[in-house]
Amino acid sequence: MKCRRTGTMRSRERGAAPGRALAILVAGTVAALGPARAEQLSASVRSERGEPVRDAVVYALPEGAAKLNLPAPERVVIDQVDKEFVPYVTPVYVGTRVNFPNRDRIRHHVYSFSPAKTFEIPLYDGMPQRLVAFDRPGEVVLGCNIHDWMKAYVYVVETPYFSVTDGAGLAAIEAPAGDYRVEVWHPRLEGEPEATARTLRLESGAAPRLDFVIAQKRVWSPRRAPASDPDYR
Amino acid sequence: MPQEPRRFQFRSFRARILTFVVGVLLLVQGAVLLSVHAANLRGARQHVNEALELTAAAFRRSLQVREQILVEKARLLSSDFAFKQVAATRDSATIRSALENHSGRVGAQVMMLLDPAGAPLASTLALAAGDAEALGSLVARANDDEFGESSAIELLASAPYQLVIVPLFTPEPSAWIVIGFAVDDALARDLQKETHTDVTLLHSGRDGWNAFSTTLPAGPLRELEQQLPARVPDGSAIASLQIAGEQYVSWIAPIAGADAPLVAVLQRSLDDAMESFLALRGTLFVIFGLGLVVSVAFSALIAGRVTRPVAELARGARRIERGNYADPVTLAQRDELGALATSFNAMMKGLAERDRVRDLLGRVVAPEIAEELLSREIALGGEERRVSVLFTDVRGFTGLSEREEPQRLVAILNTFLTAASNAIESHGGVVEEYMGDGAKALFGAPVSHPDDAQRAVLAGLALAASLPAVNAKVAQLGAQPLAIGIGIHTGEAVAGRMGSLARLKYTVVGDTVNLASRLEGLSARYGVTIIASRAARDECPEILFRELDRVRVTGREKPVAIFEPLGLLAEADADLRERVELHREALARFRAADWEKAAAGFAQLARREPEARLHRVFLERIEALRRAPPGPDWDGTFTHREK
Repeated sequence: MKCRRTGTMRSRERGAAPGRALAILVAGTVAALGPARAEQLSASVRSERGEPVRDAVVYALPEGAAKLNLPAPERVVIDQVDKEFVPYVTPVYVGTRVNFPNRDRIRHHVYSFSPAKTFEIPLYDGMPQRLVAFDRPGEVVLGCNIHDWMKAYVYVVETPYFSVTDGAGLAAIEAPAGDYRVEVWHPRLEGEPEATARTLRLESGAAPRLDFVIAQKRVWSPRRAPASDPDYR
Repeated sequence: MPQEPRRFQFRSFRARILTFVVGVLLLVQGAVLLSVHAANLRGARQHVNEALELTAAAFRRSLQVREQILVEKARLLSSDFAFKQVAATRDSATIRSALENHSGRVGAQVMMLLDPAGAPLASTLALAAGDAEALGSLVARANDDEFGESSAIELLASAPYQLVIVPLFTPEPSAWIVIGFAVDDALARDLQKETHTDVTLLHSGRDGWNAFSTTLPAGPLRELEQQLPARVPDGSAIASLQIAGEQYVSWIAPIAGADAPLVAVLQRSLDDAMESFLALRGTLFVIFGLGLVVSVAFSALIAGRVTRPVAELARGARRIERGNYADPVTLAQRDELGALATSFNAMMKGLAERDRVRDLLGRVVAPEIAEELLSREIALGGEERRVSVLFTDVRGFTGLSEREEPQRLVAILNTFLTAASNAIESHGGVVEEYMGDGAKALFGAPVSHPDDAQRAVLAGLALAASLPAVNAKVAQLGAQPLAIGIGIHTGEAVAGRMGSLARLKYTVVGDTVNLASRLEGLSARYGVTIIASRAARDECPEILFRELDRVRVTGREKPVAIFEPLGLLAEADADLRERVELHREALARFRAADWEKAAAGFAQLARREPEARLHRVFLERIEALRRAPPGPDWDGTFTHREK
């Protein structure tokens, strides 16, 4: 599995050394166990008008035997850069602990009232005191209390096998062979993700491709303050 | 002589001027007044309408601004983190208390939190059953909005509220916040401050229009509610409504952003707006009236400046008519009338001159001749007329003129000539000219009468009769008494203007004239004053004549009988008639060469008229003829040798 990772990590954390050691240990164990053969599954997501949809999470929920032997969740980072959350959409495996480094020189106040995870990190700079663990599947909308336009999504899924579509609406998932139910979620998805489900048997050597067409609903945002990048949607 | 007026004519120039000026003034000023008045009224109405349109725009702006303020208040709330937390609890009671708190902060009368579908999660106001529809439509409008905002005036629990709705961002829109501000008279009063009109907001109910916010008092408000039409047009309309006895110009428009028919009515009293325009109209009338009065006064003045000089000129003309050339017309002005007066005076001088000339002419020549000369073109020529010509002069004038000094001579002559002129002219004759000591008179030219010959003879008799009076004057002058002779002949002659064009006179020429002159010359020979020819005698039926002789005068071949007029037949007494008869007899015997009888007759006559030289003349002639008897063809005609 691959996770997207952007930006450089500033190591200003207290207790970073034990965490790092643990990570190396886990990685080593996984390596020692030997990788499960990863098959490639590619997907494309388009809107009803035929336009490619970016920032859609395509995820494969294992069924049957594939449910076993799932790797442990890794740590994920969502930055705040130039008064925006980066990345916009972050899928996480249920149970993942997420860090929210503040890369700006001003403080931010991260919050969410989503039922899947209601939390807040009051005004801080640099690294927050704690990581936030996302224990329940579902959509979590992030906001900043003092910057009304700052918005990001964390989509918690019960599978480590997921990918986010790029500008061309394409995503690639690596998963071991097996039966999967593949679903799509998007911040503006009209309806439930379950409705988009497609079952798939991933076989060795095959590189199937799934094409999804989703309906999107209209959403409006609060007015953005000036002196910021207007392109970031 | 003034003409009789035809139909309607002005008797006075002044009246004409006045009527004209007043008429024109009335027309022009009347037209001006009418058009200005009409324009004024139109302008006033338009002004009021325009003012109302502006007011309506201000009203709309006012509502918009209010709305903006309300929306911004709502937006602030939607970004309030504490409220987001409260909303996330989904605990109705907590949310409501927070809403109440917030509505206190912003001064709203109602606040609600709705779920994304529009169902109320919490509200500070107990909602009625029908309110869900209003809220639903509000939410629907917000959904269509770019920023998810909307506002409207809606009825909640039968009360009107201005509502605004904004999304609650957490950070995605997760609920709707609705804030409402009650609409009551305070709103209308606020709007009135901006628009300076009466403001009324009404909604349509089952029983017609009901006002929920107004600046009008109760009575006029009810009238307005009744007068509004049931259906209000979609756009705005301006109508004139009669409320509480006053005319109000009213702008009526539906309020946008409302589901139920809501209408705003802005009103301004037409009478108030018209005040200044009515004042202008009053001023116009005053100006009109003043202008009229001033114009009448001025035109009367100016008319006077014309009529007085004209009247002065007319008086001058009348003076001229009466023959008074002495007083010129004096006008003090130097304009056209002054020039006219100058010309008039010059004309008067000219007329005076002409009159003098005429007068003089009338004195130099007889007035009839003067008239005759003046009446025709200056041309030479004459016509044949039957005229009687009378010559008269003073006998022995040459000796007289030798004796007397010139001044006395002139006086003597003038006395005689005056008497002669009087005698002649009083009998309708015309003194053609004075010839030194005598006069030549015409009877029958230029003016003719049927009895010209008799007139001539009568004139001669009159002149002879006036001789004693003349001589009395002459004696007064210290001179010897005059003796005169008169000769009268009637016949054809040429009468007319003779001479040259530069120097002409009216005169009578011909044989007739010559003979008359000769006869006059003969008068001394016979010792009589007047000698008339047979032709003259024949035309004088009323006059007694004595035949004097039959003569041949110098220069004429034909013999002519001559007579002496003695007076009117009717006045002749028996003695005179007898003497005339005797003379006729004696003359007959003389022509018959019966010397004896003739002599006897003349002798007898001489005894009866001792002063008459006539008889002695014949006696001497008879003596001469006895001594030298005439031939067998002798008819008694005596030939005079000298003139």
